[in-house]
Amino acid sequence: MRYTEFTPYDIVLLAQGLGVSLALFLATSAIGLVLGTLWAVTRFYRVPVLSQALAFLAELLKNSPVLVQLFLVFFGFPAFFRVNVTPVEAALITLSANTAAFVYVIAVSGIESVGRDQIEAARVFGLTRWQVLRRVIAPQAAAFATGPLVALLVNQLQVTSLISVIGVADLTKIGNILNLRTLKPFVVWTVVGLLYYLAAKLVALIGARIETRLRAHSAWRGL
Amino acid sequence: MQLDLSVLAPHAGFLWRGAILTAEVCGLAILGSVVLGALVAIARTASSRWLRGLAAVYVDLFRNVPFLVQLFFFYYGLPELGIYIDAFTTGVLALSIAGGAYASDAIRSGILAIDPGIIEAAEVSGLSRRVIFTRIVLPIALRTSIRPLGSVLINMILTSSILSAITLNELTGSGRIVASDTFRPFEVYAVLLVAYAALTWTVSLAVNLLHRRMNRGITQAVA
Amino acid sequence: MLAIEKVRKVFGATTVLDGVELVVEPGEVVSILGSSGSGKSTLIRCINGLERLDGGRITVDGFNVSKPRELAEARKRSGTVFQLFNLYPHMTAVGNVMLAPVEVLKLPKKEAEARARRILDSVGLGPRADAYPAQLSGGQRQRVGLARALAMEPRYLLLDEVTSALDPEMTAEVLGILAELARSGTTMLFVTHEIEFARRISNRIVFLDGGRLVVDLPTAAFFSAAGGMAHPRIAQFLSKMQKD
Repeated sequence: MRYTEFTPYDIVLLAQGLGVSLALFLATSAIGLVLGTLWAVTRFYRVPVLSQALAFLAELLKNSPVLVQLFLVFFGFPAFFRVNVTPVEAALITLSANTAAFVYVIAVSGIESVGRDQIEAARVFGLTRWQVLRRVIAPQAAAFATGPLVALLVNQLQVTSLISVIGVADLTKIGNILNLRTLKPFVVWTVVGLLYYLAAKLVALIGARIETRLRAHSAWRGL
Repeated sequence: MQLDLSVLAPHAGFLWRGAILTAEVCGLAILGSVVLGALVAIARTASSRWLRGLAAVYVDLFRNVPFLVQLFFFYYGLPELGIYIDAFTTGVLALSIAGGAYASDAIRSGILAIDPGIIEAAEVSGLSRRVIFTRIVLPIALRTSIRPLGSVLINMILTSSILSAITLNELTGSGRIVASDTFRPFEVYAVLLVAYAALTWTVSLAVNLLHRRMNRGITQAVA
Repeated sequence: MLAIEKVRKVFGATTVLDGVELVVEPGEVVSILGSSGSGKSTLIRCINGLERLDGGRITVDGFNVSKPRELAEARKRSGTVFQLFNLYPHMTAVGNVMLAPVEVLKLPKKEAEARARRILDSVGLGPRADAYPAQLSGGQRQRVGLARALAMEPRYLLLDEVTSALDPEMTAEVLGILAELARSGTTMLFVTHEIEFARRISNRIVFLDGGRLVVDLPTAAFFSAAGGMAHPRIAQFLSKMQKD
């Protein structure tokens, strides 16, 4: 590849990269939120074996590097399970599972933040375990968990940059391409960094909005 | 589809050296982070608005830009400035700067938690501002922030895997080499996953021990 | 000489000290009485420079506490003991006592430590010298606080309700040491609720009410019917305190 100056088309490249990063971020966040919450529910129902296994898996995912998890899925799965895994699939699987592990931990402490006495009182009134979960625990746990969840998502947005290492054409990968082509590392990485920064601020802003709204609904519970 | 770890046995020494390199990088970088974090925490509690603003910008920036992007910024950018340092030094530098942003938070809340009466006692006994800071404020803040600084270290161990992207053969980098030599990526990355988890669990145990040891005098109940 | 001249201190809309005048000569023990909120503690905090004056002047042996360059000298001459001890939690008793002698008086470490141990011994804490504050009882902590102030060999000892946070037994152990200090001629300005004790050790008693200095009388006169007790506020205060 010849070294060349920046071209107007580079803006399109950056926008595409940002789009890929955000799309994967949104998809894996959504899957991770659902999955992590489901894990927490199995714990609430005290499903034998499964809840212990999931707790262990969450610990493992939380305490190991995402990059290694990514390599395990992208390089390890095809070799071991004889399946085909594309970079995007590997990214989806890894980031979703990783987000789910952190969501699980936050959801569990959210559920535990609701007092035992409340749960027992609701059970005494004849509510089923599911009704207790839906009507009593979920709204309070959601208000409790929003802050930590927003912090998690801001972090997970940055974690998406790792998928560039296995070849997904995300924002960081575009940065790599431009860096090699133009040999202007300061400009390239400053622009890329700035785009990530703005995206992170946007996520934090939206999160703060949602949090205020949820807290407004549940403010009286704090009394 | 047989999990056969024996194929890794000949490479155990190589992986071990990678783990040692990870430990060295993280050991140096946590020192750097704590020093930088302490300086930034001072700046953030300083009376000068400029200093406070500058410190806040640093923390905000380095917490909201992916570490991989920061790493590329230094790795490709510094030679541009005529600064040629190897991957190891670049890694320690980048981890220290990123970790410093988090460490400053921990130390800052440690400083703010100090009973003002203790500072007053030091003031009226005629101690200079410098002595009050180095002999009283900082030692107390560092003791109370051992646990949060421990979290910074654990995050750093996980983040250090990203240094493999700039050709540093720490644990993850060594794993990549072994994976391509043995054609057993699943086994290699599974072992790495467990190794990192074991490492971080060990570190968190050690941090708890250190916390109890260093705060023995401070937190023990009245005799 | 510790001279307080027309001192005024305002917090927001409240005047906490209003034209207070007081002189303490070397060798005197002066107790400051008054109900809570009368400005007693604020007066101490003005003398050691923890609060800025809004009017008037305080000098310690001629050094004006409002002048940054003279404050250091003024602080060297006074030692403060706090209600809540305010010990350095990360240092042992000896460490607490020797810090300022090493850093401010520039005493060699060995000498400062010997002095610290001697003073801790004199307040009955010789065997606990290497304990951390959290390992000591309230009374023991306050004795460390006292030793820390004494280690600087201050000319004036400022005591800010030093027994208010202690139970009666611990109060007795601290007051015993203060009585000893008074006998040995240590100059003290003593903010307290311990009226009987103040009566025993003070040369003079000062009464503050709503930020104003109501009387400044020799101890005997203060407690006489024609002296302090002639003031309705003081009589009221004393009868209330004695009931408690």
